Amino acid sequence: MLVKALAAGAIGLALGVAASGSILADPPFGAVTIGAWRVAAKAGALDADPYTRAALARSGEIPLALGEGLKLVARADSAGRPLDRHCLYRVGTHTPAARYWTLSLTDANGYAVENAAGRYGFRSSGILRDGDGGFSIYVSALAHAGNWLPIGHVQTFALALRLYDTPLAASAGGIEKSSVPTIEREGCA
Amino acid sequence: MSVTARLGGVALFVATVAATAALIHFTMVLLVPVVATHDAYARLADLGSPGTTAALPRAGPDERRFPWDDPALAAAFCRFDLSAGPVRVKAPVGRAGFASLSFHTRRGAVFYALTDRAATHGRMEMVIATPAQLRQLVAHDDEDDPSQDLRVVSPTVQGFVIMRAFSELPSLYAAAADEVKAMTCATEPPPS
Repeated sequence: MLVKALAAGAIGLALGVAASGSILADPPFGAVTIGAWRVAAKAGALDADPYTRAALARSGEIPLALGEGLKLVARADSAGRPLDRHCLYRVGTHTPAARYWTLSLTDANGYAVENAAGRYGFRSSGILRDGDGGFSIYVSALAHAGNWLPIGHVQTFALALRLYDTPLAASAGGIEKSSVPTIEREGCA
Repeated sequence: MSVTARLGGVALFVATVAATAALIHFTMVLLVPVVATHDAYARLADLGSPGTTAALPRAGPDERRFPWDDPALAAAFCRFDLSAGPVRVKAPVGRAGFASLSFHTRRGAVFYALTDRAATHGRMEMVIATPAQLRQLVAHDDEDDPSQDLRVVSPTVQGFVIMRAFSELPSLYAAAADEVKAMTCATEPPPS
């Protein structure tokens, strides 16, 4: 009986620790999905839920304030398939209204990834645009013509879109799905 | 042992596992912010002492302290401690490009932020105070000539201020880095 109780306690402990670790890596509450992107609207807010607060304390991230801008993160393409380093993606062609935006590539934890080109992202103020003012960013491991964002030496990666000085709030319905960039998979090696 | 008794034993075992797991999980979620030794404030503490402005390292593949930092943004910080009095933050702005100040509690949550759109006379300026210090400041205000200071109450005695400046092009990063380093955070002299 005692052995059984101890075994149950030990398994419960292990499960509890494991579940906490994985859940805090990507907290489930307070995040809004817009197309391929997720926005943790409450990250860094004083009234954030306990999961969001714990995730912030663990990651060490210094969150953007709502008044400064928004950070959108994509870990999958527009069709919902996880981003794969063997594929070519086209990200475009427009973003929600903002004074400036940047689009950068990170590893799963949000750190820039070493690459031979030394390029970690694009700025709205320094990007090649088409005739309509739209843009296409090509995300791939191999060099690509135009705005090429290299994947670099990493297995799993994420894309981060930041909108600085935007009138948008990420709360329900604040951002139209049609206004965020799409992430189209163009082919895989 | 009957089948029912054995099933009951299994159910009890599963329930004990689930209850323990849930208890551990919720305890961890609530305790992590309190016991975290590597939160943003602790990481900043390695880079600069309270009241002094220090640059945040630029985001890049060799920089593993502050996840999700944007390589296009230069940033600097100062930690503040209100136990010796309110702290005045001054941040000159004068470049093309976005700049902002964000005010964080000891746990990293944002309690106030402003952008260069709110700058007057070429700078963003703010006084951080505890609720008691704010009451004292207001009590000392001249009724005919009230202070023009922007004041904000910090929920915690300690915390930090981040200044961010956007560089429109990679070649303009150095200018943005110079701008954020010019921020000052100084404890106010006691009101006379």
